[in-house]
Amino acid sequence: MPTKVPPLLTLALSAAASLFAQDAAKPAQFTQADREAGAKTFRSHCSACHGMNAEGGRGPNLAQGVFYRGSSDEALLKNISDGIDGTEMPGLFYSPDRVWQVVAYLRSLSQNEKAPGDAARGGTLFAAKGCIGCHRVAGQGGRMGPDLTLIGSSRSLRHLRDAITNPDADVRQRYWRATGAAADGRAVSGFLLNEDTYTAQTIDDAGNLRSIDKSVSPAYNVSKKSKMPSFAQLPGAELDDLVAYLNSLRRPGGSR
Amino acid sequence: MNRCYFFAVLAATVVMLPGQVTYERLLNAAREPANWMTYSGGYQGWRYSPLEQINRSNAAQLKVKWVHQMPTTQMVETSPIVVDGVMYVSEPPSNVVALDAETGRQFWRYRRELPPKINVCCGQVNRGVAVLGDRLFVGTVDAHLVALDAKTGAVLWDVEVANYQHGYSVTVAPLVVKDKIILGIAGGEYGIRGWLDAYEPATGKRLWRFNTIPGPGEQGHETWSGEAWKQGGGSTWVTGSYDPVQNLIIWGVGNPSPDWNGDVRPGDNLYSDSAIALDADTGKLKWHFQFVPHDVHDWDAVQVPVLVDAPWQGRMRKLVYWAHRNGFYYVLDRETGKFLTGKPFATQTWAKGLDDAGRPIRLPGIDPSPDGVTIYPGVQGATNWYSPSYNPLTKLFYLSVWENKSIYRKGDQEYTPGNRYIGSVPLIDLPDNPGHGVIRALNPSTGDKVWEYKLQTKPWAGVLTTAGKLLFGGSDEGHYFALDAETGKEVWRQNCGGIIRANGITYSSKGKQVVAIAAGNSIFTFALP
Repeated sequence: MPTKVPPLLTLALSAAASLFAQDAAKPAQFTQADREAGAKTFRSHCSACHGMNAEGGRGPNLAQGVFYRGSSDEALLKNISDGIDGTEMPGLFYSPDRVWQVVAYLRSLSQNEKAPGDAARGGTLFAAKGCIGCHRVAGQGGRMGPDLTLIGSSRSLRHLRDAITNPDADVRQRYWRATGAAADGRAVSGFLLNEDTYTAQTIDDAGNLRSIDKSVSPAYNVSKKSKMPSFAQLPGAELDDLVAYLNSLRRPGGSR
Repeated sequence: MNRCYFFAVLAATVVMLPGQVTYERLLNAAREPANWMTYSGGYQGWRYSPLEQINRSNAAQLKVKWVHQMPTTQMVETSPIVVDGVMYVSEPPSNVVALDAETGRQFWRYRRELPPKINVCCGQVNRGVAVLGDRLFVGTVDAHLVALDAKTGAVLWDVEVANYQHGYSVTVAPLVVKDKIILGIAGGEYGIRGWLDAYEPATGKRLWRFNTIPGPGEQGHETWSGEAWKQGGGSTWVTGSYDPVQNLIIWGVGNPSPDWNGDVRPGDNLYSDSAIALDADTGKLKWHFQFVPHDVHDWDAVQVPVLVDAPWQGRMRKLVYWAHRNGFYYVLDRETGKFLTGKPFATQTWAKGLDDAGRPIRLPGIDPSPDGVTIYPGVQGATNWYSPSYNPLTKLFYLSVWENKSIYRKGDQEYTPGNRYIGSVPLIDLPDNPGHGVIRALNPSTGDKVWEYKLQTKPWAGVLTTAGKLLFGGSDEGHYFALDAETGKEVWRQNCGGIIRANGITYSSKGKQVVAIAAGNSIFTFALP
């Protein structure tokens, strides 16, 4: 093995970890005051994604008592404090006592939301309407749109419906469109992956990773419109089915 | 026209477009030196580039081109790959980032969500990714193999290859061979039973497994006693090489477990500390060569096998050059595994020499004891996982060397799943004599030293050589340097300000040669002004 970590160091590290755990001690029981203070914090910092009443939006519904990343109070404390790697969930820079108030608030909620449509029919429509050409589910499909493998566990029903009927309403920066030219003068048009003062990084419609040099003409431009067409003309029942299908795309498990 | 349909047609077309990384491109990597498409830059394990724009006459002018800082404080052991203008870098613990090879700007990032407690002996590191088609493959410290879309970083599949809670982890860069992903495993300090696997790129389905610790009925099982094989170690945590003519994967196997107390495992303990040669299609063993039978010093054979066809006693012969952690340099016949010659390349005080079959003739009193036994080389070996290089122009073999001794102690050890299983903790560095490092050039036919470049500290950096007759190497002090590959004379150095424990690569961007190395928590690139 390349380098050994001495056992003493390991001991010291675990001692430090248990000290931290004491600092984050959970209240003996949550009070009404805790819940109210937690609601206030939630509306300030969490509602933009999770909705004013935790009903979900870009972020998952937290009002059903169902959580996919650990359902214990301690797991909620950790996820709220540290954020969740590999997702859009950032951490919250608050002391544990204030985060416990948010946990207290979430525990006071209990709602249930059921999709009206038929998920199996929605899955058939997803392929038939061509969605799969741009969106990938479980490794199958196109790469140009967002991967929807787990979309059901991170979006509310209303958000899913809006995304189909009015794609321009909420376009993630990753799907903004950049146009300009590469350093060699060739035109570039693609999704905006990254940007600095001098350059922008894109994936073009042929799937090439290309950089734009902002000092080269044609002028650099960004459009925040979605590349996805609206499906507002779909019959209501088909829309319900599609929403039900997307809502069913969840990571396995999830516990109360 | 419905744009979704348009993209559907387009997506299907992209799969067929030229410019993707095919097996033929990997096989003929030397024809496109602008790219660096596998861990060692080519199947022969040379870590050599035919690029010569940067050479001995101009290397003194090398300047930093760009730096990519990783958001991590963990050790960085990654070796990047570069494909058609994009650099793919793994970041610890098991993340991947795609960068513009010209500017260092990020295209996308894959961040893996990991369980809270993972045992990896020596840091949650990753040594690199592999590419085939438009897919990347990365192993993770929680013992999964993941396929990513090379254009977006999206996860295409994610399969568990072993149970991380029993000490298995993946730190190695996978190797794509034909239509298979070859993957090794780490965990030799946790009593794993090691293997080398092949997986299907489209699905992650396992195609074959070679058990590096043979079970009942498997050839070599007779070199174990009792049940010790079940926790016998034999990890495979450094990327091997491939001989396409013989269709042989040649890979190094790590230490037997427990490391420093061999009482529970009398016998030679195959295939620990061995070179193994497997049929790439079936995973069947063609030959093996064990460098250290019944190892009790943790001298893994985790070096990159260097495959060269060269004259040997008057006729061309397929050879393997191998400088082993135990301090000896070996030449093996690549068709049979037969030992041809060997001699020490560093100070060693444990063996009188090698016998005609290449087996070490051990000196008395070298095994670890409760009071401690002091011998050369030290626990980290005379060399280790960091890459050597072979240069076909100078016809020399280059490597980073440790001149260092350790106190090897022996203790009791009980096996429990997921916990360390090592049999004591040696004293790696003697406080009053920590030893030093050196870059050495060897005549690969004899193992004789041709030149050396001394370092104050012991390096964890591999070496890279080029057709510009330069050697690039690094130090724990943070210096990255270029030496004249014929003489060892220094021609350039740059302080990168952080320990270099990685292997360099070189590629071309917009017609200009670039050299890249991980130092500290960053990727540094260098080019001529």
